[in-house]
Formats: sequence, C-alpha cells, structure tokens
Amino acid sequence: MSFQVILQQMGLGMLKTVGIFVLTLLFSMPLGFIVAFGRMSKNIVIQGITRAYISVLRGTPLMLQLMVVYFLPYYIFHISIGGWRYPAIIVGFTINYSAYFAEIYRSGIEAIPKGQHEAARLLGYSKVQTFFRIVLPQVFKIILPAVTNEVITLVKDTSLAYSLSYIEMFTVAKQIAAAETSMLPFAVAAVFYFVFNLLVSTVMNQIEKKMSYY
Amino acid sequence: MKKKLICLAGAMILGAMMLAGCSSSGSSGNTFTVGFDAEYPPYGYMDENGDYTGFDLELAQAVCDLEGWTLVKQPINWDNKDNELNSGAIDCIWNGFTIDGREDDYTWSVPYVDNSQVIVVAKSSGITTFADLSDKTVGVQAASAALEVLQDEEQQKALADTFKTLQEFGDYNTAFTELQAGSVDAIAMDIGVAQYQIASRGNDEFIILDEHLNSEQYGVGFKLGNEELRDKINADLKTLKANGTFDSLADKYELSDMTCLE
Repeated sequence: MSFQVILQQMGLGMLKTVGIFVLTLLFSMPLGFIVAFGRMSKNIVIQGITRAYISVLRGTPLMLQLMVVYFLPYYIFHISIGGWRYPAIIVGFTINYSAYFAEIYRSGIEAIPKGQHEAARLLGYSKVQTFFRIVLPQVFKIILPAVTNEVITLVKDTSLAYSLSYIEMFTVAKQIAAAETSMLPFAVAAVFYFVFNLLVSTVMNQIEKKMSYY
Repeated sequence: MKKKLICLAGAMILGAMMLAGCSSSGSSGNTFTVGFDAEYPPYGYMDENGDYTGFDLELAQAVCDLEGWTLVKQPINWDNKDNELNSGAIDCIWNGFTIDGREDDYTWSVPYVDNSQVIVVAKSSGITTFADLSDKTVGVQAASAALEVLQDEEQQKALADTFKTLQEFGDYNTAFTELQAGSVDAIAMDIGVAQYQIASRGNDEFIILDEHLNSEQYGVGFKLGNEELRDKINADLKTLKANGTFDSLADKYELSDMTCLE
C-alpha cells in the first residue's frame, strides 16, 4: 500500500472521528447544562437522580457504557439492533461527556460569589435575569480551560468507538498496520490526533482571548 | 465573528449528519452482512487500495453473486463477535473461524479450510521443539482458537503450564513486533496467518515449529438455529467448488494445500 493510500484511508477515517467529535460536543454540552441544574436543584429527588447519573457515568469506563447502549436493546427487549450502531456511539459518548461537562458547569456557576446575587437582587434583577446577564457571562470565562481539557480528551477518546466495530481513524490505522505488517500507520495516527488537537486548542485559545474583556 | 462561528458549526453538523446517514447498516432485504476481523490477513484485511478483501471475503462475494445479494462487509471487534451475531447486526462470522471447540455455539457451514494451530518463534531463538518453550513467554490472541487450545485440559493445557507466562494480545501485528523486540519468545496462532505474517516480513527471521498444537477446521458461523441461511451457503459453496471458483481463490491466497471442501 502506498503512503498516499494510507493517508487517504486514514483521512477518510479521520472524517468519521470528527463526526463523532462534533456530534458528541453538540449534544453533550447542552445536556451537561440540564444535568448541572439538576445537580444544583433544591428538589431532593432531582438532585439524587442527577447525582447518581454523574456518579455512574464517571465511575464506569466509557467503553463499557458504549457496549451497554448498543447491545442492551437486544438483550432486554430482543429487538434487532441493525442500524443502531452509529446512534448508539453518539448516545454513549454524549451521556458520558454530559456528566463531566455538568460538573465543570457547576464548578463555574458556584464560583460566582453570593454577594453578586444579592447585589443584583438589590438592583431589581429577577433570578432569571441575574443568571443570564450577570452569572452566565462570567461562568463561560471561568470554565473555558476545563472545557478545553475535556474537548481534547474527547478527540482521543473517539478511538473507543472501535469497541462497537465502528471503523474510525485509529481502527483504520490498526487494519492497515495488520495488512502491511508495519508500525508506520500508528505514527501517522499520532500526527493526525496531534494536529487535530492543535487546531482545537488554537480555537479555544482564540475564544478565551475574545472573552478576556474584563 | 459570531455569525462566522455559527456558519462553521452549522457546516460541521451537516457534515457529521451526512456521515451518520452513510454509516447505518443492517441485515435486511437482499443484503448479506458478513462480520469479520479486518486485522486477519489473508482471510480478511485491507488491500492496496484501501478496500476490504481476503480469501473469505472474496468467497462471500462469490456466494452473493450466485444468490443475487449485496455483500456488506462489516469489520467487527473480535471480542464482541457473539453480541454482534446474536443481536442480528451481522448475518454470519466468516473469517478464518475455527469450528473445533465451538461446535455447539454456532450453526456451522461445511468446513472449507483445514487449519492447524502452530507456534512461531524467531529463528535466532534456538527454540525447535515444544520442550524448549518451558519457562518462556508465549503470546496468543485474546479470544482466539489458539488460546482455547492452550487452556483446554484435554488439549495443550499441560504444555501451556510449562510456559513462564501466556501473554494475551489484541492483534498479530503487535505480537510480531513484540516477538521481534524480544518481549515475547513465541506466538501461538493459525498456520495460515503465520504463513502470511512470515512471508510479508521477509521469510528469514521467523520459523514455524514442526510440532503442531492441534489440527482443526474453518467454517462459516451462523447464529444458532439459523439453518435456512446455512443450507443456502452450503449449497453455494458446493457450486463454487464444482465450477472452480473456490480453487482459484485458494490458489490466489496460497491456501491450496489447506482447503478441505469436498
């Protein structure tokens, strides 16, 4: 196999990796907010449920969660899971990452001093107004470095989709390595991941800069 | 700036959705979904152009041509093969799949390749018999037939007990690299795979021990009870043997002296 074909095949695999990456962020970031609010809720039932949700999802391996999401419908309800592979991967990644994002959001929201809430109330802001106009803009700034961490981890975690036989970039690398009996594809994979993460951290840096307005 | 970001995000989402649409696979209609380990040459692997090929996959393609089915090649994670098959995500496992020891776990086609489990060592190691393996580190693929042979009391468990360690690994490429690097002393595997690996690594570094761990056969594995599909494939294999397709494929992959299809 020529180097060009290796690059081409792994490039195609990279598209799938990016697909998982984008969809996971798209769904898990908003879901994380919902979980974070549940976790901070004064309602004991909601708080208990979200605590358990976060605890289980952070406490078990992502690979295991992917397998549960994919195979459970068959083993519990005996329905055929043809076509469920890709959605299962996205669902698995999304719920896992939402748990981490939820805790990051909570750390940001709870970092805002109580005094600001009191001052806002004194100035006549409602609770909703306080949250959206005063708290949230500050939260974004506080949590950005932690979010960047998580996003970079996600890029590398995409290789776990292999456990559901989804052929993303790293799996392509392993297949080429097997056919060619060579380790070169792994070096290429390392470069692919690194360049992509370089891109991610550059974008996140730009966003951080834009937000350093006070 | 914000608008640009939104546009960019939108474009990425659209792209990802399209990818999602392409990748859905199932086993309905006139498709025949074959599950295989794409890291298992010469039976299933990625060829020069980046397409999946191999002896078993070409054979499956020939069967599909006979039946008028569309072949779907689904690379699977070998550890999850039972889940994939039982849940209906794939129609069969067709990939140098050893029958012996798994007779009651799947509905089997007729055996088509005679295969043995062998031990590969580095030429320079000085290992020539099973006795030399005592106190050595031996590699074997996780969930493979070779591992089962080495763990079975009635087969080679006694031999395995003389090893220093039985090191399980994910794929043969890693195992051979470890053999080269000296972190394992020998690898237990199928003879067909061993021949491919040794040939593509230049033939001069590794040898296959003359003693064989056992002799066994390859078949196509279907979900237990799926005899309807099994009977179809059996009939098609017979046709392919009769019209010479089977033998010419075996020739192409240098497996001629290992086939056993009547």
